Amino acid sequence: MVKLTIDGVPITAPKGTLVIEAARQAGIMIPHFCYHPKLKWDANCRMCLVEIERVPKLQTSCSTPVAEGMVVRTATTAVTQAHKSVLEFILANHPLDCPVCDQGGRCDLQDFSHEYTPTTSRFIEVKRIFPKEYFSALIETQMNRCVQCLRCVRYCDEVMDVKALAPAGRGTMTEIKHFTHHELDCEFCGGCVQICPVGAITSRLSMYEYRPWMLKRADTICTYCGDGCQITIQTKENKLIEVNTAHGAGRNNGDLCARGFFGYHASTHPDRLQHPLVRRNGELVQATWEEALGFVAETCIRLKMEHGAEAFAGLIASRCTNEDLYVFQKFMRLAIGTNRIDSSARYGQINGVRALRRVQGTHRWAVTFEDIVAADALLLVGTNITETNPITGLKVKEAVKKRTATLLTVDALVPAVGTISNIANLAAHHFPVHPDRFGHVVLGLIKAVVEDGLVDQALAHRAPAYVQAIGDAVQALSWPALESATGTTSGALREAARIFARAARGVVLVGQGVLRSPGGYGLTTNLLDLLLLTGQHGRPGCGLAPLAEENNDQGAVEMGTVAEYLPGPCDLNDPTARERIAGLWKEELPKGPGRTLTETLEEARTGKVKAMFVVGENPVGSLPHAARAKDALAQLELLVCQELFLTETAALAHVVLPACSYAEKDGSFTNTEGLVQPVRRAIEPIGESRPDWEILSALSVLMGYPIEYGDAKEILKEIRSLIPGYGLLGAGPNPPRPDEAVVSRYLREGYAEDLANRYAATQPTEKRTGHFTLLVTQSLFHSGKFSTRSTGLLEIQNTGVLGLNPADAARLGVTDGDRVRVSNTLGELTAPIKLLERIPEGLAVFPEHFDEEARRLLGVSTDPQTRVPYCKSAQVVIEKL
Amino acid sequence: MLQEKYKTEIDEILSRYPVRRSAMLPLLTMAQREEGYVSEAAMKEIASILRVTPPQVYETVTFYTMLNLKPIGTFHIQVCKSLMCALVGSDSLLVWLQARLGIKPGETTPDRLFTLSTVECLASCGTGPMMQVNDDYYERLTEEKVDRILADLKRDGTSPLKSGPFILPEPEGAHG
Ligand code: SF4
Ligand code: SF4
Ligand code: SF4
Ligand code: FES
Ligand code: FES
Repeated sequence: MVKLTIDGVPITAPKGTLVIEAARQAGIMIPHFCYHPKLKWDANCRMCLVEIERVPKLQTSCSTPVAEGMVVRTATTAVTQAHKSVLEFILANHPLDCPVCDQGGRCDLQDFSHEYTPTTSRFIEVKRIFPKEYFSALIETQMNRCVQCLRCVRYCDEVMDVKALAPAGRGTMTEIKHFTHHELDCEFCGGCVQICPVGAITSRLSMYEYRPWMLKRADTICTYCGDGCQITIQTKENKLIEVNTAHGAGRNNGDLCARGFFGYHASTHPDRLQHPLVRRNGELVQATWEEALGFVAETCIRLKMEHGAEAFAGLIASRCTNEDLYVFQKFMRLAIGTNRIDSSARYGQINGVRALRRVQGTHRWAVTFEDIVAADALLLVGTNITETNPITGLKVKEAVKKRTATLLTVDALVPAVGTISNIANLAAHHFPVHPDRFGHVVLGLIKAVVEDGLVDQALAHRAPAYVQAIGDAVQALSWPALESATGTTSGALREAARIFARAARGVVLVGQGVLRSPGGYGLTTNLLDLLLLTGQHGRPGCGLAPLAEENNDQGAVEMGTVAEYLPGPCDLNDPTARERIAGLWKEELPKGPGRTLTETLEEARTGKVKAMFVVGENPVGSLPHAARAKDALAQLELLVCQELFLTETAALAHVVLPACSYAEKDGSFTNTEGLVQPVRRAIEPIGESRPDWEILSALSVLMGYPIEYGDAKEILKEIRSLIPGYGLLGAGPNPPRPDEAVVSRYLREGYAEDLANRYAATQPTEKRTGHFTLLVTQSLFHSGKFSTRSTGLLEIQNTGVLGLNPADAARLGVTDGDRVRVSNTLGELTAPIKLLERIPEGLAVFPEHFDEEARRLLGVSTDPQTRVPYCKSAQVVIEKL
Repeated sequence: MLQEKYKTEIDEILSRYPVRRSAMLPLLTMAQREEGYVSEAAMKEIASILRVTPPQVYETVTFYTMLNLKPIGTFHIQVCKSLMCALVGSDSLLVWLQARLGIKPGETTPDRLFTLSTVECLASCGTGPMMQVNDDYYERLTEEKVDRILADLKRDGTSPLKSGPFILPEPEGAHG
């Protein structure tokens, strides 16, 4: 610690602290433009000058570290004079257009000018004028206003690693551009908009719509992915004006991605359902809440009498709040009387949770975002993390770029600089393999750990049989076979294994490429084996982190809205848990089995299930045609959908009940790390829409099993009585420690049941020449069920474009924008193509949000253990059109 | 494509630097040598060679007045507009050149013979006003001298009035 005084105030600060930060911590604000705590200092604006005793000239406090005994003065005549002249120079060029500038009212230049400058200027020269250029549909630049602090450029490079902004020219005439006269093509994270201290870079989505002081603010949580970023929704007269976040806020620490920053208009899309709809004479027609709910309740009672409670099933989207999810399962279990409940966590999240529970007895990560940043070695498997979990991706980037963690990546994409991040570019070792061979790389790593004496000694003592069994299993694999399957050398695998095993803190992140692909559960378990064997398991800061795709995937599991769990999550058949929950609910729990998504659809098809409640989930629009969800749902005698929009599934319903979006309700979401965060209402409900839990509660009353709550808080209180401490709001997650009893059981016997399967290096089927693997994946610009209703995100991406490797495209005789036909025995689609260097030869990538056609081509297989439907890839032929 | 034509030279340039990105200026010089200016295609190609983004190459090009972003004429006239030359009349020299060529700084004559630019100090401050035409310096300029130079260039493609660049001390009789 270093002692110094600033303006007479004695201060102690850690060595290396910058004077400007030390002052801020003592409550002394030093004016600045170019400094930002997130960025390396640049000291280009000279606004932060201070006097330091015994130093002859004024010093930039943003670049001067504190020193023992330093005496700093921030408010002397010389300093004030310096502020004045810096501002006078800036204002020599800065236009006086505050009245038409969106930054007006929250502009650093405005504030500092108000505080430090006389109102007249000595400059009579003409101001610098840049010809106005179109920048992009979402981001506006007004370079005449730029103070050339380069915060935007540095943010885009240092934090985002996108490097899309160029300070073009020099001196006064420097302007921020993209690439020559091209419009901006980047990740559209909005970071440059947020970090610009003046109004030189602003959002076009809210242009000229507001003055900051007119806006009402609500701090809530973004609904577009499992990262759970804190956002502030700003509204004016119940209209969504803009979304931003403050530096330091939330798990995202003030950073956002395009979905969070530009995706907010979905909630007020004109197609939002405003009234309940009931099917009459084959048509969905508007009805009152009384009519609609009355009809549902009556029909439910009748069907229950006729067919029993087991003829009902429920499906809910994990984008709902914990409160919605909780009430949903309680409604299904008590008012209806069935355990046939599942949610979109089934699409992949459940693989991660099941593996964690099996091996370490937790359903959450044992690590946090901070542990990712602090890790020495990071292994990413099956994820170009930025595209699904952009903010977790920033933590990885920070670990690698600022903390020099070693990054190891296993993914289908190859390193190549593009307009959006490609995490493989930062990897020390990247293993580019076909998506069905990620498992082979992991087996190679485990084999290397065993053969090169990298097995943790303590583990070898604790579980010799386990180590022996895995040792035998990997010994049985031959290096040449692994090398040929992975296209890499045993040397590279050994080197990566050594880095990971020797790291002081190792973290494994596993993404959708594993969790949503055949063998996902087994491979996730193998990654836990890798952590155990290398001694990276159970130590603080180390562990496995399966990435949640939907914002409340984790909550959906914990609230018990998946087939195998009760709230907790507790196993559906765990007698103690059942007794405890029944005690709290004062009601017997149904005895019937849980059913997963695909099982339920099958039962609907065969007529075993007669009625379904579908809340925010859209199986017809999400599953491939091969799953025949539409046929199944069409058989039902009653299909009730709670929805925001008339989706493909809702269009089949007998009753559609309009639900509120996250922006219109209170509650909580649990992010990928397991942090429960408050969701707050920003606008009044659209039309007659109501929160999902409220709809279910109203129904329960009509059905004679009242499940009533005054507000969302009461529900959370009840959840807390079941899961002690749930959602007690703290600054960060408090990750669970692995349960050593469970780990011991796994090491003793649990590993053995499927060991042979997990450690079999199946000979990957050689691809036929001319055949491509089509991958349908999430893109950075769309996620969840309603991003395609957001005007902002549609500006960035509004059609399905097939990504192809340039060499493949050349062979097909096509180039950017040309259309191709993609087909297999199941169907075909035509789409324009885009050449992308990061896509390897033989692969074709299509965005899942525009996959209406592509879904025809996909088959479905189900995980034998977790019943996760795998349906994201297909073998196809591509031809020029 | 530079890489097809100059593979060995590019490899040699890259081998000089421990940090790949440092090869930016030599590669840009190569691109300009090839086409007379740095084209968008060249910037993209250099970005991919150096594993940086095209904006990062672009910003570098815009920083150096010696790198051109547009095709230029046969003769690139670069007039120093920094302080020392300004004190001895570079501004009226520039006006004269503009009148003679009929173009403003940043423009090229319709016959594509001359491009006029203004640049910062070219380190001939003792002999201003001065200009550089392609690789040659012309110093202690007067209106009459400029006319002769332009006529020479048009006629012969070069002018005996050129004076360097050279390293001090000046060679005898360098200035005619
Ligand atoms: S919006 Fe684009 S240019 Fe701006 S910081 Fe984000 S990635 Fe960079
Ligand atoms: S646009 Fe804004 S952030 Fe970027 S350099 Fe100009 S003033 Fe700074
Ligand atoms: S989509 Fe995910 S990363 Fe993007 S702002 Fe929302 S929560 Fe954050
Ligand atoms: S804030 Fe210190 S120089 Fe800009
Ligand atoms: S000022 Fe003109 S050459 Fe230096």
